[in-house]
Amino acid sequence: MSSLCKRLSSSVVKKQLMAITGLLLCGFLVSHLIGNCLIYLGAEAFNSYAHALITNPLIYIAEAGLLAIFLTHIGLAIRLTIENKKARPVSYYMKTPTGRGATFASATMPYTGMTILVFLVFHILHFKFGPVYTASYNGVEMRDLYKLLIEYFQNPFAVAWYVIAMLALGLHVSHGFASAFQSIGFNHPKYNCALKCLSKLYAVVITLGFAALPIYCFLQGGN
Amino acid sequence: MSHDNNLMTLNLKIWRQKNQDDKGQMVDYKLSGVSKDMSFLEMLDLLNEQLVNESKEPVAFDHDCREGICGMCSLMINGQAHGPRKNTTTCQLHMREYKDGDTIVIEPFRARALPVHKDLIIDRSAFDEIIEAGGFVNVATGNAQDANSILIPKLDSDLAMDAASCIGCAACVASCNNASAMLFVSAKISQLALLPQGKVEAEKRALSMVDKMDELGFGNCTNEAECEASCPKGINISNIARMNLEYLKAAVASKID
Amino acid sequence: MSSKKLNGNVPEGPIQEIWDKHRFNMKLVNPSNKRKFKVIVVGTGLAGASASATLAELGYNVDAFCIQDSPRRAHSIAAQGGINAAKNYPNDGDSVWRLFYDTVKGGDFRAREANVYRLAQVSNNIIDQCTAQGVPFARDYGGTLSNRSFGGAQVSRTFYARGQTGQQLLLGAYSALMKESHKGKVKIYTRREMVELVMVDGKARGIIVRNVITGELEKYKADAVLLCTGGYGNAYFLSTNAMASNGSAAWKAYKKGAYFANPCYTQIHPTCIPVHGENQSKLTLMSESLRNDGRVWVPKAKGDKRSPKDIPEDERDYYLERIYPSFGNLVPRDVASRNAKNQVDDGKGVGATGVAVYLDFKDAIERDGLETIKAKYGNLFDMYESITDENPYVVPMRIYPAVHYTMGGLWVDYNLMSNVPGLFVLGEANFSDHGANRLGASALMQGLADGYFVIPYTLGNYLATEKPEETPVDLDSPEFNEAYHSAQERFQKLLSIGGNRSVDSFHKELGQIMWEHVGMAREEEGLKAGIEKIQKLRDEFWKNLRVTGTEVGVNIELEKANRVADFLELGELMARDALERRESCGGHFRMESQTEENEAKRDDQNFAHVAAWEFQGVDNTPIRHTEELTFENVTLTQRSYK
Ligand SMILES: Cc1cc2nc3c(=O)[nH]c(=O)nc-3n(C[C@H](O)[C@H](O)[C@H](O)COP(=O)(O)OP(=O)(O)OC[C@H]3O[C@@H](n4cnc5c(N)ncnc54)[C@H](O)[C@@H]3O)c2cc1C
Ligand code: HEM
Ligand code: HEM
Ligand code: SF4
Ligand code: F3S
Ligand code: FES
Repeated sequence: MSSLCKRLSSSVVKKQLMAITGLLLCGFLVSHLIGNCLIYLGAEAFNSYAHALITNPLIYIAEAGLLAIFLTHIGLAIRLTIENKKARPVSYYMKTPTGRGATFASATMPYTGMTILVFLVFHILHFKFGPVYTASYNGVEMRDLYKLLIEYFQNPFAVAWYVIAMLALGLHVSHGFASAFQSIGFNHPKYNCALKCLSKLYAVVITLGFAALPIYCFLQGGN
Repeated sequence: MSHDNNLMTLNLKIWRQKNQDDKGQMVDYKLSGVSKDMSFLEMLDLLNEQLVNESKEPVAFDHDCREGICGMCSLMINGQAHGPRKNTTTCQLHMREYKDGDTIVIEPFRARALPVHKDLIIDRSAFDEIIEAGGFVNVATGNAQDANSILIPKLDSDLAMDAASCIGCAACVASCNNASAMLFVSAKISQLALLPQGKVEAEKRALSMVDKMDELGFGNCTNEAECEASCPKGINISNIARMNLEYLKAAVASKID
Repeated sequence: MSSKKLNGNVPEGPIQEIWDKHRFNMKLVNPSNKRKFKVIVVGTGLAGASASATLAELGYNVDAFCIQDSPRRAHSIAAQGGINAAKNYPNDGDSVWRLFYDTVKGGDFRAREANVYRLAQVSNNIIDQCTAQGVPFARDYGGTLSNRSFGGAQVSRTFYARGQTGQQLLLGAYSALMKESHKGKVKIYTRREMVELVMVDGKARGIIVRNVITGELEKYKADAVLLCTGGYGNAYFLSTNAMASNGSAAWKAYKKGAYFANPCYTQIHPTCIPVHGENQSKLTLMSESLRNDGRVWVPKAKGDKRSPKDIPEDERDYYLERIYPSFGNLVPRDVASRNAKNQVDDGKGVGATGVAVYLDFKDAIERDGLETIKAKYGNLFDMYESITDENPYVVPMRIYPAVHYTMGGLWVDYNLMSNVPGLFVLGEANFSDHGANRLGASALMQGLADGYFVIPYTLGNYLATEKPEETPVDLDSPEFNEAYHSAQERFQKLLSIGGNRSVDSFHKELGQIMWEHVGMAREEEGLKAGIEKIQKLRDEFWKNLRVTGTEVGVNIELEKANRVADFLELGELMARDALERRESCGGHFRMESQTEENEAKRDDQNFAHVAAWEFQGVDNTPIRHTEELTFENVTLTQRSYK
């Protein structure tokens, strides 16, 4: 066991933890997106869903888990990035990509990651710890997140920021999703192509799916 | 002699550094009389001949076989390890890639684990240390059974050969944005993991070679595949995946400490 | 001093039993005593790496030295074609005896029978050992090893790993070496160049090396010294050898009294990419396997400058097929090379320089299909194209012979020991097994045989007999200091000449002299003129050389100067040996000694011997000793490949 702990800090295992947490986050994004899409069904549907989630006693465990995943992913990301910078103390006078390997997405992982981090901090401050409106359906009092969202996204800058952040997220997962399989050790000539496509498809769905929400809210406000 | 009538003049920007402690700097040279048939290193020979004739110290660079197999040559050429061509070492690069009047920037491979000895010569002993940590099969001379008593599917043997063709040049490290040595290390781990002869010690090998690599201060891989793209032997990053899996299995399941 | 008859110390007995009996008769070093011995191994090519690893496995302490930044980069890495062994897996009639026979005959009956027999015997163990190390030899679909016919052999006995056999074998030996380094039994000294041999009481007991990075000279002592430093083909400047290949280590030993045997035996390989320009630094070999499918030709008319595709079939001369109907394009290297030279001398050379012949794959592509040819030779074709900018699938390759291998080397007895006690010589650096011509895929076999399977026994015998550990040597002894100072003086001298010519300019000029006078065809007048030219050039070298920089730190010019200084002496010995050997044999072709059909004519009456030269001072004529060669198991025949 002690040897396993020691190996948690090896380059390979660190990378694998990144990959596993990254994939779990990818899963979270899917469920978060589906949940958020209830907005399209109107205030009651959305708020009731959120209420059901928040009042479920398991939420604390889930949130703690999610927090742990985020912290692990972010912590390791920062550590890896610093180590990687240190591995080349004198930088090149000229460095040209071959054009056959790295992509824009893969080369910008730390930056898109950072953007997501900044996004997250404000996102959670605004929605989770932001103003509390209430609404009541069938006698049940609950938080009116719907209102909060619509209100928040009346600001076009907020919408723009969200769209930009979602583009960063899209870039991040477009490389990250497939890359995670490589890190864990899955690379098979038969499936590589499919995996890369899936990764891009996933990125597009996530980006468009999330980006559509603020825009929808913005448009809703006009009514 | 065939095309010597269209000789080129080049502007070279070359990294000069006296020794490991020197800070070093880029120095400009103008070189004429370069023919398209020359190899890149022959172009540097020509520069050195010119420098010696001017009683200046020639540019030190590593080279030996000059046919792309020993892994001795290196160089970042205009920001690319071994220059622009796919599957090509610097010694196999020819000046027909360049035009009259071009500027060529020449730097050593750079990484913390590969310090510069002088000018363009680097210290790659870290690679030997990694192999020493486990890149072998423990079989003493005389211990071998008849070669044909080990049957190996041709496909595995071919894949092992693909990985084994690594020449240890360190272009993978040089071109990786993270100065990671994963491709080199994984090539050896893969070769031996694919063969029955290597399986016996596969767990120990994966653990000790990767641990050594980490200890030496190489960066971590972020799956960028620049290494594969600039590897003169086209070593595939699927080897890195194989190594990752081998390491994971060994770290979790093996009885080795 | 006068010429001696040397004794190869071959034990008596039927040839099949000599090695086995000898192994039994040799003394053993007790396991607990082995660790008291230190062995210096200079060179980490196939011979050096395999010897170092094996000796360390046995328990000896080994110090291994190489010039490159890693043992893995020794020149052996460049071998493409393959390695022979008498496994007879293809069931096509091979045997130890046949491999032995072919090698002696291929060497034009100028090798020691017993050595060659032993080589053939252990060849099979080499394949087993390398496979066990994880060398990925080519395999067939059933999972067994694949073989090919190589270099004109009538059987398929060559094992290969794509076009990278030398690389894979060396990486195997290197991994064994690193395994022992891991255990602390071998200490590896990279970027060191041996510059002196140290003798104490007439025995080899140490070396002085120059640390190429710091420029410092370092002393190392041991109970025996193994030279595994490769061949000296770079005396010709242009050759297929790696740039750092040199004759210096062997030359230092020669100057300390070791005999240099058959220096004139050089192999000129027929399939190399021709010289293209003045600034060319080396020549590239195209594997000989190409001759299995390519057809060699020149235009029938002299000075025909048409593009090859415009030369109709009936105006082409497939001269090898014409002259040698039964072997055709697969005649041995020396025959193929000489014929190419004849065509070029005859004005039928092709290409811009007119110094090349065609190697054409058109028929093979038509017969087997493009894909098959691609699969077989793809990497070679790519290499050719990257160097010449011509597509060999469409335009026939241009090839020309180039210096490739040196059969000559330090003289050793059956135990691989030179005449200097404690100085062993392995691999291409010795003269032992290939006679006057080496067959394809046999050098790798010999290097590994020496290192893995011969030296572990014979070195033990020496150490057990001589007990050098009873006479410890001291790094501050006069012998070490003297060697150290002589090396120091030499480097200072090289730096202080302050002349006008670069090292390379001297090397190139020497190369031209060698190629012209001691090349593919040699004759008395030419050789004498060559010797004079070399002497003159050497004089000029020591008066007009310019080496920039200082002794401290990396100085690439100084490194080269040191090697070229030795080549300037070695070149003369090569010419001298060629002059004295007034017969043609294998790679050594004397114009004066040819058959009616212009084939090499041996003179077994007068020259069935090894010539081993003893140093008498740089400007004095060395003494030519001889070792008689007797052939009891093969019949001496004039080689014929008609
Ligand atoms: C292009 C090419 C292709 C070939 N193909 C084949 C083939 O297909 N089959 C075959 O059987 N043979 C082939 N050969 C021949 C064969 O490769 C060599 O003969 C053989 O590898 C020599 O091995 P070695 O161990 O004796 O020496 P090398 O591999 O030359 O090693 C010499 C070692 O000595 C060291 N050294 C040299 N001088 C010094 C010094 N002064 N101080 C310290 N260290 C020193 C070097 O650093 C190196 O480590 C080929 C040769 C060439 C050039
Ligand atoms: C929901 C949000 C996120 C998801 C879904 C996600 C997903 C992923 C995935 C799948 C990977 C690939 C792992 C691998 O290649 O093995 C990855 C890598 C990475 N992530 Fe994230 N990530 C998220 C948030 C973040 C944040 C907030 C940061 C930053 C601080 C970050 C920084 C990085 C970095 C730097 C990498 C590259 C590391 C490497 O490949 O070694 N990520 N991410
Ligand atoms: C643009 C579209 C998005 C909308 C409309 C949205 C909406 C919301 C809302 C309303 C909440 C509050 C839930 C609560 O307090 O229970 C929330 C929480 C959260 N959101 Fe988002 N979100 C979006 C995008 C994202 C993205 C891209 C991420 C991840 C990178 C993310 C991560 C989170 C997290 C971690 C929480 C806290 C969850 C919890 O505490 O349980 N959100 N989101
Ligand atoms: S993997 Fe490729 S780039 Fe890296 S050392 Fe090996 S050959 Fe060079
Ligand atoms: S370029 Fe670097 S990031 Fe990984 S895939 Fe190659 S080592
Ligand atoms: S010099 Fe050997 S690979 Fe380039």
